[in-house]
Amino acid sequence: MDRAVSTGHNRAVSEVLIEMRGAGKRFRTWKRREGFGGFFVNLFAREWTEVAALEGIELEIRRGEFLGLIGANGAGKTTLLKCVSGITPVSSGSARMFGCDSFALRDEHKRRLSMVMGQRSQLWWDLPAIDSFRLLREIYSVPRSDFELRLRESAERLQVTDMLQRQLRNLSLGERMKMEIIGAFLHEPDVVFLDEPTIGLDLVSRETIRRYLVEINRARGVTIVLTSHDMEDIEETCRRLVILRQGRVLFDGGLVDLKARTYERRAIEVHLEPSSPGWDAAFEPLLEPFGARLERAAPLTLLFSVPAPAVQRFVPFLFERFAIRDLSIEHHPLDMIIRQIFQQREGGA
Amino acid sequence: MSTAAPSSSIARDLRLLGVAFAYELRKVTAWRAGFVVRELMRSLWRPLVMIFVYRAILVTPEARFGGFDFPALVAYLILAASFEKLLFHQRGLDLADQIFQGYVTKYLTMPVRFFVLALGRFAQHLAVQSSVVAFLWVVGSLLFPQWWPRVASASAALQAFVLVLLGSYCAFLMCFLVNVLAFWLEVVWTLSAMASFVFSFAAGVLVPVSAMPQSLAGALRWMFPYWAVSAPGELFLGRLGTQEFLRGVCVLLAWVVALELLRQLLWRRGLRRHIGAGV
Ligand SMILES: Nc1ncnc2c1ncn2[C@@H]1O[C@H](COP(=O)(O)OP(=O)(O)OP(=O)(O)O)[C@@H](O)[C@H]1O
Ligand SMILES: [Mg+2]
Repeated sequence: MDRAVSTGHNRAVSEVLIEMRGAGKRFRTWKRREGFGGFFVNLFAREWTEVAALEGIELEIRRGEFLGLIGANGAGKTTLLKCVSGITPVSSGSARMFGCDSFALRDEHKRRLSMVMGQRSQLWWDLPAIDSFRLLREIYSVPRSDFELRLRESAERLQVTDMLQRQLRNLSLGERMKMEIIGAFLHEPDVVFLDEPTIGLDLVSRETIRRYLVEINRARGVTIVLTSHDMEDIEETCRRLVILRQGRVLFDGGLVDLKARTYERRAIEVHLEPSSPGWDAAFEPLLEPFGARLERAAPLTLLFSVPAPAVQRFVPFLFERFAIRDLSIEHHPLDMIIRQIFQQREGGA
Repeated sequence: MSTAAPSSSIARDLRLLGVAFAYELRKVTAWRAGFVVRELMRSLWRPLVMIFVYRAILVTPEARFGGFDFPALVAYLILAASFEKLLFHQRGLDLADQIFQGYVTKYLTMPVRFFVLALGRFAQHLAVQSSVVAFLWVVGSLLFPQWWPRVASASAALQAFVLVLLGSYCAFLMCFLVNVLAFWLEVVWTLSAMASFVFSFAAGVLVPVSAMPQSLAGALRWMFPYWAVSAPGELFLGRLGTQEFLRGVCVLLAWVVALELLRQLLWRRGLRRHIGAGV
């Protein structure tokens, strides 16, 4: 087994924990016909359709990485996590974890991973969180003293110490999610999968959870794979980003590199007065001299991407054309960069 | 590493079983009103109905039904209802639901055999139901001393209890199997309702198996429900002997082995098929 080798002040080449080679997953479902007649047809002649949820995935994840997995609804994020963690077998190619086929993980491997699903509780619904944790302690054979210490620490950091005795079903969504996260880290796993852990949570809870995840990733070198539709989650936690589209990897690279690509451009968001003329396709050619692009046009909001040097000339142009209530100039936000990636690849394909 | 594994993993399974048992026990007693309704009331109505039915059939004191007079039938019905309570039943295992809703997926990433946790449920069932039955027996024998079944001998009681325990385990495996079908079918609830009906009939809960037609009774003697309820009842009353008890143990053990093999096979197949529904 290759050990972690440090090759620089902040870059370490560590052992590969997760490996997907040409991995694909197809789901077979049958179309349900409606009505009474349809019921009988369903019984005897089913019309099968195959959905390719994943196709030709090549992925390598090393120890200590914090990876963000994003993509539209149905892009295959959850399926990818399920294949890697051995919940479901791949239909082609291979998915391996800790050097072992994911669907044949043994107990000593499973002890090193954990999974949090935002929509499916991993804890026991009708028990107080503390009892669930005790059951997990048995399942993972965590020594009692370590268990108490970790539990106290993480409950304090996530601010749920006084809720440990409450039944899980009586906790709010955010409180429950914090419990799920505590449960996921109690046995000090090497790899943690988090599928939309911040779904439906308020800003403060999100912040708390993000900070907890980043700290634990730094302090213990836990490998974390996170999916989210919230770009702020990704931006504030992940160092590497993988974008899925229709079951394929569309982008795989560092978050910093990604942002550097658009470093010399600015995002200008314009809020219009209701009386202002709106966006018109006829304006399109007028943008060219500035090297500007329209990124999004809502009735009262326009978003442009403009080269930094052109901003000074572009802003007066906007004031000439529109009645502007408010205007902001920023670096490209992550969601805009990602939208651009989608557009580029679509154009290229 | 793997050579030392078996003994330590059995020890771990046992410890886990203990924890799961305690957890199940806490869960079932958490909802007190529901517990009384579920565990006490529900077991009473069926024997009561059957007692009235038999009263209507057996009008004269000399009248017999398959070799039973009315007091013997009452004693038998009480025993059958008590033993049936000890049998694991479909409602005790919400596995099919868990499979449908994708909750079993969480166990797939844990270093645990799901079956051990389910066994905790079985142990809880036995413990709770034994206490309930014991309670009902104390109350019942005080209130209706002339009707309450009288045990033939201490060894008869012991033999009956052994058969019920083995039978309950068979019933548990059967429930598990039917639930596991949820990996393939969406009609598990219908199936399990049917199974439990067939089960109570074959077990002789309504009509003693020995009072059924010869050919049917002969066939049922190869099934585990008979040995789980009807036979222990008759053993208890001294209507069957040790020889029959030994035969019962053999039949039940054979069923345990067969059901266990089938369970392992279906569980493995099912997981492979499992898609961890939705989300
Ligand atoms: N059990 C299943 N049976 C059939 N098709 C499925 C199944 N699970 C997922 N799919 C299909 O596979 C594709 C990928 O689904 P997946 O759940 O991985 O998406 P996702 O990226 O997690 O989406 P979301 O952001 O909505 O959670 C979808 O087209 C979905 O319809
Ligand atoms: Mg998903």
